[in-house]
Amino acid sequence: MSRQQVEMTVNGRVHAGEVEPRLTLVDFLREDCALTGTHTGCEQGVCGACTVLVDGEPMRSCLMFAVQADGAQVTTIEGIGGGREGLTPVQQAFMDNHGLQCGYCTPGFIVTVEAFLRDTPSPSDEQIREALSGNVCRCTGYQGIIAAVRQAADQLAAEARS
Amino acid sequence: MSAQTGGAARFVGASVKRREDPRLLTGGGQFVDDVQLPGMLHAAFVRSPLASARIASIDTQAALAVPGVVAIFTGADDFPRLPPWWPSEANVPAQHPLAIEDVRFVGDPVAIVIAESRYIAEDACELVDVAYEARTPIVDYRAAGEEGAPVVHAELGTNLVAEMASPPDPALEAAFAGSDHVFKETIKSHRYAAVPMETRGFVASWNKAGGELTVHMAGQAPHVARAYFALSLGLPEHAVRVIQRDVGGGFGQKAFQARDDMAVLHAAMRIDRPLKWIEDRQENLTAATHSRHEQITIEVGVNNDGLLQAIRLDHVLDAGAYPAMPAEADPGLVAAWFPGPYKVPHFGFRNVQYYTNTTARGPYRGPWLIETTVRETMLDIVARGIGMDPAEVRRRNSIQAADQPYQLHSGIVFDRVSPAETLEQAVEMAHYAQFREEQAAARAEGRLLGIGIASYIEPTAFGGGRSMGIEAATIRIEPSGKVTCLMGLGSYGHSVETTMAQVVADELGVAFEDVTIVQGDTASAPVGGGNLGSRSAVIGGAVAGMSARKARAKILDLAGHLMEAAPDDLELVDGVVSVKGSPASSMALTEITQVAYNGADRLPEGMEPGIEETTRWSAPFVTHSNATHVCMCEVDRNTGLVKLLDYVVSEDCGVMINPMVVEGQISGGVVQGIGGALLEHIPYDADGNPLAVNFKDYLLPVADLIPEIRIGHIVTPSDTPGGHKGAGEGGTIGGVAATVNAVADALAPLGVTITEQPLSPSRLLALIEQASA
Amino acid sequence: MKPAAFDYVAPTSLDAALTALADGGYDAKPIAGGQSLVPLMAFRLAVFGQLVDLGRIEELQGVARDGDELVIGAATRQAAIAKDALVAEHAPVLAQATGWIGHQQIRNRGTIGGSICHADPAAEYPATAVALDATIDVASTRGRRSIPAAELFEAAYTTTLEPDEVAVAVRIPVRRPGEGTAIFEVARRPGDFALAGCVVRVATSGGAVIDARVLAFGVGGAPIRLAAAEAALAAGAGVGSQELTAALQADADGLTPPEDAQATSAYRHSIVVHVANTAIAEAIADSQ
Ligand SMILES: Cc1cc2nc3c(=O)[nH]c(=O)nc-3n(C[C@H](O)[C@H](O)[C@H](O)COP(=O)(O)OP(=O)(O)OC[C@H]3O[C@@H](n4cnc5c(N)ncnc54)[C@H](O)[C@@H]3O)c2cc1C
Ligand code: FES
Ligand code: FES
Repeated sequence: MSRQQVEMTVNGRVHAGEVEPRLTLVDFLREDCALTGTHTGCEQGVCGACTVLVDGEPMRSCLMFAVQADGAQVTTIEGIGGGREGLTPVQQAFMDNHGLQCGYCTPGFIVTVEAFLRDTPSPSDEQIREALSGNVCRCTGYQGIIAAVRQAADQLAAEARS
Repeated sequence: MSAQTGGAARFVGASVKRREDPRLLTGGGQFVDDVQLPGMLHAAFVRSPLASARIASIDTQAALAVPGVVAIFTGADDFPRLPPWWPSEANVPAQHPLAIEDVRFVGDPVAIVIAESRYIAEDACELVDVAYEARTPIVDYRAAGEEGAPVVHAELGTNLVAEMASPPDPALEAAFAGSDHVFKETIKSHRYAAVPMETRGFVASWNKAGGELTVHMAGQAPHVARAYFALSLGLPEHAVRVIQRDVGGGFGQKAFQARDDMAVLHAAMRIDRPLKWIEDRQENLTAATHSRHEQITIEVGVNNDGLLQAIRLDHVLDAGAYPAMPAEADPGLVAAWFPGPYKVPHFGFRNVQYYTNTTARGPYRGPWLIETTVRETMLDIVARGIGMDPAEVRRRNSIQAADQPYQLHSGIVFDRVSPAETLEQAVEMAHYAQFREEQAAARAEGRLLGIGIASYIEPTAFGGGRSMGIEAATIRIEPSGKVTCLMGLGSYGHSVETTMAQVVADELGVAFEDVTIVQGDTASAPVGGGNLGSRSAVIGGAVAGMSARKARAKILDLAGHLMEAAPDDLELVDGVVSVKGSPASSMALTEITQVAYNGADRLPEGMEPGIEETTRWSAPFVTHSNATHVCMCEVDRNTGLVKLLDYVVSEDCGVMINPMVVEGQISGGVVQGIGGALLEHIPYDADGNPLAVNFKDYLLPVADLIPEIRIGHIVTPSDTPGGHKGAGEGGTIGGVAATVNAVADALAPLGVTITEQPLSPSRLLALIEQASA
Repeated sequence: MKPAAFDYVAPTSLDAALTALADGGYDAKPIAGGQSLVPLMAFRLAVFGQLVDLGRIEELQGVARDGDELVIGAATRQAAIAKDALVAEHAPVLAQATGWIGHQQIRNRGTIGGSICHADPAAEYPATAVALDATIDVASTRGRRSIPAAELFEAAYTTTLEPDEVAVAVRIPVRRPGEGTAIFEVARRPGDFALAGCVVRVATSGGAVIDARVLAFGVGGAPIRLAAAEAALAAGAGVGSQELTAALQADADGLTPPEDAQATSAYRHSIVVHVANTAIAEAIADSQ
């Protein structure tokens, strides 16, 4: 089967390569781009560990082929916080509230929550739980994660007011 | 804390933010699948689609012809048989990495395909042509002991794994005869699994010239794994290096390496390139271990005043085809600890365990927890039977402070436990009396509200001389004055890089930021037992503290020599040694380390250069944690769906190093318990096919289903250094029982008894309909 | 869990896609959001020679009003439908149905056409389409045709589309005055496929129900009309009335719901009356 050229912008950098059409986006990111922060937990769209932003929207990178992201803007966990800017308010809130233990699910949660709070600046507790229900964490029992999203939402709302 | 603490206890006891988090939050973790080595190849398994069959032939020609396929190994390649993990009295069959002649469960590894990518390896797996001659499997463990049942391992001639029983006891019979009431139920636990979010995985590279094998793995106990690999592979132990940096959960499933794991390592040694195997989710749910499939028939003798008189258990377990832990472990724990937090004058048990043509039983967080589930659900059945409130029954039977030390029939002694205290705290935090009022009002409207209690005493941090109870820590005060602590732990989310640094910082008298914990690597760490059995805080914390104190003593000796002061008059606080009471007279730790490493001529007579101290410590036999859980729920009469309203835990894990971490362990554990009680299940059909092998069918708890979990603490220090007790497994142990009891209480007005999980809407609605029919 | 190899084209015009499908024959397969197709491929339950991606075809995107109908491009994402103003006004139950589909990350990629063509028996959109008397416009190199939703779903995962046909748009009659709609379902976890669900549309006149569509999903192969309940409602039976309950029970007794790891067949049978009652009550309330 023929290989195809793909080119996409990942975390602001252009990544181009020739891939088999069957290569999933998550495998492209992890292996071809060496961005291993995006994880897989099920490869069938259920667990959310592989969530990345494609053109700004959170999607399952295990349910996309790299060729489908040709020309897209992709943001992975490596493109969120860290480095010189330090942690984002969402990441900081996860740290403050013990929203992670093993950290395997964490990139998927952070990406999901960043987009959620961007779109829903003052969420209710119910909205928070709903928004998180597409991501599975086996370690935390969700207590720290829910508290973290609450803290980040409150902080972002306060920043928006001032 | 112990009296000889270096500085004040500034970090121990505080919810210090985790050291691990910044890397994990930004994609910088290093899990086994993140390891990429030059020339690395990928493995995939051909697995049996049948529960029981003879392999007539395997044809790998077509698969080998796929471009990119490097090798295929099958049972014919003679990977040597696995050595046992433990000496055992049980009937144990030969275990080979790949099936030879027979397959014994759906998922049994038949061949391992090595290729340039996992994609290609899977392409080739489809082309490996295996001819099977199907046989009738034995799927139901309760029938596995029957005359004429198909035998899983022909060489054993029986499906019996092991059997144990307490000696006949006329006093027990008399106690039953003398009880006002005797209740009897068979309580069943269903098959489910640990399901860490990261599956099993290895990257193994064999350096033939150097005779060295390096194994990156998703594991729990690097040194234990190394010893086993060396033994299995016929290599000297020091020629094997096991590395686990970040591990995405394990919960017992990654504690012991199984047949397919060993097939990967054998294959890696037969090819000249590094080999990666990352288990996919379907394999994880099919071929990694399953847990909790067992039942107990329990008889309880009780008097009208609610006092327990006698308990007898008949425990039957499903071992699967190739159990991944010693047969004696779980039944032994159940039998020895069963009476738990209650005074039970007479006790007897029998247990029996069978092989079946199903996936192996393996450890999962609180592997023996059926003990708590059965005891606590039965107590509620008893309470309803004698018309007494379940909280009151527990109160009347609880072991009190004055009863301790309290010896069980097994000889186990409970001391420094607080079951009566956690019961009262939990009941109060749950506003138990108020809930009962709300419940009565709701019942009057036809709504089904329920509240369930579960208490337990949990053996943690087993010691008593065996390897699991021994841990070491090497503390090196670096020439820069910074501190490195090397430990044989294998964290998979336990925060030990944080908690152990808290202990070391306090015991030494340095800043938390100046301490680094290095673990998860056999090349750097002293031999240790890893992370399992709720041992890291109790044993790891103790030994890290001991090494820190030794290092501190040497620092003060050297400082005393340099400052011309008596070491006893010195203190080390925040990285500065000063004369107690006159801080002006002081030396920074860095000045002292400069002398230790670069000025040996200034050392006192006989003192070795450098500051590096190792302690190895053997923990006492066991340390007991205890807790009481209270779960509140509403069951929807129309749908049988359970909505959890509130959840309370009162626990006693002794001195907490980091309360935030303790509470995280408890919450995570509770939700695993809730998941087991309500959602998670791997049923098998009559032909031995597992019916939940992906995440669409295997339901894990998600945020929307989980209430706030409120946690209270009672602190009764243990007698180990540091006063800690294990906190890793308790959440799960209590979580199942409290949830089951809450649901059973909700349905109590209908007169139904719950003896089986999961409490799926199908099961609950059937009970509701049955009651109203 | 890696898919078998395939060739891939992503045409930018519908004609090019139709040609690719016609040329590929049975070996070619449209892919839209991939949220149902890719898992099947990952499990290797489905293998194709060529995927024809519909995601880059402009004319399959978006929601528009055309006379008395809403026209929704087949490749319009579920998330876009959930927040579309025209949908909210003219087919609010479609937006509500979207809320029951999986999770945000799934809806951001899944499409209405994909959901309808996949015809999962427990999916929300197929039943909603039937309840709303929607029509599916389909095209192939052989020409175009329109299929009433009621005639599209044959059985579980089976539609009357030919392999070379592509769903182009879903046409939905706009909500008329006096109409009420609702959707309700039961699932074990939020976002899971329904164990049983129901979409209801009632037409009222002077506050009384004169016509009803009651579509159950998750309880059989294709969306199933609960005909006795529809008749009872049209005859004036109210929520909670003996007539409606008896009719729903009769409908339920005619079902043979599937059994799987999530729920027994008996369970699905049991809850369908409750689910339908809930949706009916909400639809009537919505009409007032
Ligand atoms: C975790 C998870 C949870 C989910 N939960 C739900 C749920 O609760 N309810 C629900 O309804 N769905 C659910 N889904 C499925 C989701 O809604 C899918 O998006 C939808 O079923 C298919 O849409 P798609 O665009 O992704 O189609 P694809 O997966 O791309 O295609 C599906 C099928 O439709 C065909 N197809 C697609 N578009 C066309 C077209 N225009 N013309 C002809 N054929 C076409 C494809 O060839 C394929 O056979 C879930 C999915 C996941 C992964
Ligand atoms: S790996 Fe993509 S959702 Fe689980
Ligand atoms: S932190 Fe381990 S899975 Fe979420």
